Amino acid sequence: MADARTIDQKVDIHAPGVVVRKSACYFCHQNCGVLAYVKDGDVIRIEGNPEHTTNLGGLCCRGNIALKHLHHPGRINHPLKRAGAKGENKWEKISWDQAITEIAEKLNQIKAESGPEAVATAGGTLRTDDWSRRRFMNLFGSPNSFHNALLCWIPTFMVETAVSGWSPFETELSNSRVLILWGVNPGASNMPGMRGYSDLKKNGLKIIVVDPRYSETAAHADLWLPLRPGSDTALALAMINVIINEGLFDFEFVDEWCEGFGELADHVEEYTPEWAAPLTWLDPEDIRKAARMYAMNKPGNIQWGCTADQLGRTAGAGMHARAVLRAITGNLDKPGGDVMPGPAAYITDEELEANDRLPDEVKPKQIGYDKFKLTSWQGYGRIAEISKATWGKAPTAEWMCEAHGPSVFKAILTGDPYQVRALLVSATNPLNSYGDTKMVLAAIKKVEFLVVCDYWMTPTAVFADYVMPIAGALERPTIHTNYGVTDSIVATERAIDPLYERHTDYQFWRDLGRACGQTAEDWPWEREEDVYFYMLQPLGLPCESYDDFVENLGGAYYPPQHFYRYKEKGFCTPSRKVELSCGLLEELGYPALPTYIGPVESEVETSEVAKEYPLVLTTGGGFMPYHHSEHFQIKEIRYLYKDPRFTMNPRTAAKMGIKEGDWCWIETRRGRIKQRANLEETVDPRVIYAQRGWWYPERELDTENPYGCLDSNVNVITSVDDADCDPIGGSWANRGLLCKVYKVQEGDKVTNEWSIPGSASEPGIHETYSTSKLAYEVVPKERRHYPAEFEVPEGLEYDELRRTAYQPGTGYRYDQNSGWLIDDSTNVYYDLVTGYAYDPTANDLVDTEGNHYDMQTRELKVLSETPTFDMPEGLTWDVPTQQAWDPATGQVYDPNSGWLIDPNTNVYYDVVTRYAYDPAANDLVDAEGNHYDLETREPKGGAQ
Amino acid sequence: MTRYAMVIDQRRCIGCQSCTVACRTWNDLPIDEIYNPVVSEGVTGIFPHVHLTYKPLLCQHCDTPPCVPCCPTGASQQDEDGIVWVDPDKCMCCKVCVNACPYGARSKSHFEGFVRKCTFCKPRVEQGLQPNCVATCHQKARIFGDLDDPESQVSKLVRGMYTERTFEELGTEPQIYYIPDAGGQL
Repeated sequence: MADARTIDQKVDIHAPGVVVRKSACYFCHQNCGVLAYVKDGDVIRIEGNPEHTTNLGGLCCRGNIALKHLHHPGRINHPLKRAGAKGENKWEKISWDQAITEIAEKLNQIKAESGPEAVATAGGTLRTDDWSRRRFMNLFGSPNSFHNALLCWIPTFMVETAVSGWSPFETELSNSRVLILWGVNPGASNMPGMRGYSDLKKNGLKIIVVDPRYSETAAHADLWLPLRPGSDTALALAMINVIINEGLFDFEFVDEWCEGFGELADHVEEYTPEWAAPLTWLDPEDIRKAARMYAMNKPGNIQWGCTADQLGRTAGAGMHARAVLRAITGNLDKPGGDVMPGPAAYITDEELEANDRLPDEVKPKQIGYDKFKLTSWQGYGRIAEISKATWGKAPTAEWMCEAHGPSVFKAILTGDPYQVRALLVSATNPLNSYGDTKMVLAAIKKVEFLVVCDYWMTPTAVFADYVMPIAGALERPTIHTNYGVTDSIVATERAIDPLYERHTDYQFWRDLGRACGQTAEDWPWEREEDVYFYMLQPLGLPCESYDDFVENLGGAYYPPQHFYRYKEKGFCTPSRKVELSCGLLEELGYPALPTYIGPVESEVETSEVAKEYPLVLTTGGGFMPYHHSEHFQIKEIRYLYKDPRFTMNPRTAAKMGIKEGDWCWIETRRGRIKQRANLEETVDPRVIYAQRGWWYPERELDTENPYGCLDSNVNVITSVDDADCDPIGGSWANRGLLCKVYKVQEGDKVTNEWSIPGSASEPGIHETYSTSKLAYEVVPKERRHYPAEFEVPEGLEYDELRRTAYQPGTGYRYDQNSGWLIDDSTNVYYDLVTGYAYDPTANDLVDTEGNHYDMQTRELKVLSETPTFDMPEGLTWDVPTQQAWDPATGQVYDPNSGWLIDPNTNVYYDVVTRYAYDPAANDLVDAEGNHYDLETREPKGGAQ
Repeated sequence: MTRYAMVIDQRRCIGCQSCTVACRTWNDLPIDEIYNPVVSEGVTGIFPHVHLTYKPLLCQHCDTPPCVPCCPTGASQQDEDGIVWVDPDKCMCCKVCVNACPYGARSKSHFEGFVRKCTFCKPRVEQGLQPNCVATCHQKARIFGDLDDPESQVSKLVRGMYTERTFEELGTEPQIYYIPDAGGQL
């Protein structure tokens, strides 16, 4: 067997031939540095890179399972072409080139028949070179790429850019005195960030956490504001009110650099902390405390958090209010404040997207163009124009200028505004990541042509016509450009070439573009390394290649920090000032000042809904160890959290009879899902927090409910109705929905009902599908059996645990050696056939009434009152034993031999003289030792 | 002399379980085996006045380890630097040491025929590296080093900070020092 060394470390990373590559983790957006030990084209071991600027050697749960991910048997390794009906999960393995050719043919056919806009693409979490998807779409001519970015910072970026010209992404914290972590939980979603906050806290940084839940981050806060989920806008407005009313704003900055402060002051007059108290459930004094803490400790920061983008219809106003908070406290673009670096000096993602190749006349065809204007071509077009005028470059169009995802799914179902016929999905699983899953499922089933690029057979991929195998983090280089909104760059290299027939997403879009007829000039870079090196060119760094940059220059470029850039050219807005009263939003038809809109559902505004759904749901936040809807396949982390859990206050649960771990329904007006109860005092008694993303890759496929994606997936109960979405940015609500919770009963079914509300021109849709399986079916485990090693007589039961047979009813044990049944408590033996007890005195069987039976024949013994044989004189007849005996000595008469026998000593006595038999002398002997002849009973003549 | 020890700063631990998974993947542990679970007594207090502390557990590498003298084969042993480990070649899996350990730091997988435990990543330490749970901790909540070196971070922390040890009253002289999180908010 192995020695201790190989047990602890089965792979020797110092063996000859092992190369260390500076790779990265791609399981969230931090891109932590990973050292990959490579041997013979395969990675044999990974660990955190201690020299990487982001993680300093740290890796979280997900980072540590990179190898399990790379070699997982569930990974898709070859292009798959649908071989059965849609959703039947029957596939034919084909070559990459064949797949690309066939997909391109179909796309070109759709383009010729219905126009390029009938092709849409869905992007996913930062796992990809999304600019290449955009480049493909722009060259193809379709404006309909979309993304889940609407739930993740993009509307915040756009609103803040409209107000103050840029959105700070990398806040400068080293000189900061106060930090608001607003709806963000770095303790679960940004491990390196959390380390930084703990370090800075030691140096005196004050941290305010705004979160309805006592999160990992709130546990480290100096001030925690546990507000009602979804009421962030009211809190922000009330904080502005306090800062203005108490004169805590930055007079000079506001006077010199802000537009519309007077209007703002008038506008927020009504938004007092007392006004906000019933909306936010916070003490007005706590709101004041937070406002003072933020405004009086300068410089300070507000960190972005996805909550702002997941508030639904109130989202835009909340972002606007927060942008105002940053501005009126004078925290913009100064040391320790919210720094606005503008676009980078290197080639940005936007410059690679070829946005100028998209004809202007197709831009209005972008789905959602006239509904959610700021994040589509209308708003983005204006912002890009202003930004180019100020900085010379524009923000990335991918993410920031998109079709509205839910509206694309609706267009597939309704043909309104036109029929979308093809959907290319990359790095996302829309069935779990977009709101109203039941509607998305119907759209995924209905769409004419579906291609999915993924690592896994996801619930979405099941319905695809082609599934393309995508290379993971270790199989590709990774460059982190912070979405094109800061000027730094962090780069890591490829550890190994993609295994099997896996390709990177860049290769997919490039190959597909070429097959669709795009030219070699359109896609000049063969590999990622070529593009990334091209991106670095303007920096003039002393490196020969991209790998050279990573290996020898540390793979990181941070330009010298510069502050107060606005003092040169002004802010990047039409007025060159911070527009507290925002001209651009007004131009697009939105309120110029942050105006309160309530959450999608609330006990204040929709009190009739609250009667039936009394609890407030918050969801959509990240939690360890999963990311979005990923990693449920990987047992090394699934064993940590096997089932989906929602958090509920134990006092509320006690009233409903819900116990820890109970499977419960969480129901909103749109449907219900089941998760297990996690009872903790971390949430208000009126709030529940549910985990996002859940599906069950271990399940058998059921096309009505693929891999259980309708069972515990919180998007089943969210709404993407246009009326519930933020009119400015189009994001839908994960926070602050009304719900109720009750225990799962046996036989409960998941329903597939969904609807799209009608409008003046369209009638709307309501669909009901057949019910599907239970989320949680107890599968009894096969019990292990231990068959008896002897023949068990009929009528007895064999006990596998004790390896013994027992008689049912009596519990007597069967002794397989003697064949008797034994009562272990009394030690009485029972006959197996008759059940009679053994009588050791009579050496026969006796029943409960005292009748005796013969041992052999088991026949009833007839008891005779008189001797059954010729009884010698002086003996007594004993009826129960049917024996003649001498009561004085206890000797028993044996009628066959004619002797008396002492049962204790087994000595024979003569029946006439009562002398004992002496076997040595073969005669009789009396008590004195005199011997007598055996026949005559005469004393033996004095020979002795 | 060298005496390895670990300081765990509970004020920094966020219960992310990264160390648990890092240990599992680096040491290729069977799925039913775990060296260093991160546990918690749960949330204390009533909302919103609540507190939560995590406690990462692992072998305490005691100065007087009860699991070593009880071993009938000499498989369970302690090096001079304090690392307690099991030689799988000698282990006959009687599990006496499993019962002897008051910290539950030893176990036997259903898939293997010997007792396993945390070895402070002995092979890594021998190469001058940190144990993997220490290296992987984003929060830098685990600090590992030589207690006999007065300049090492662990000896500075043990000398200068208020630390607690688990079941100290048993006389096992555990060498994992916890800096507790007192909790409370402004």
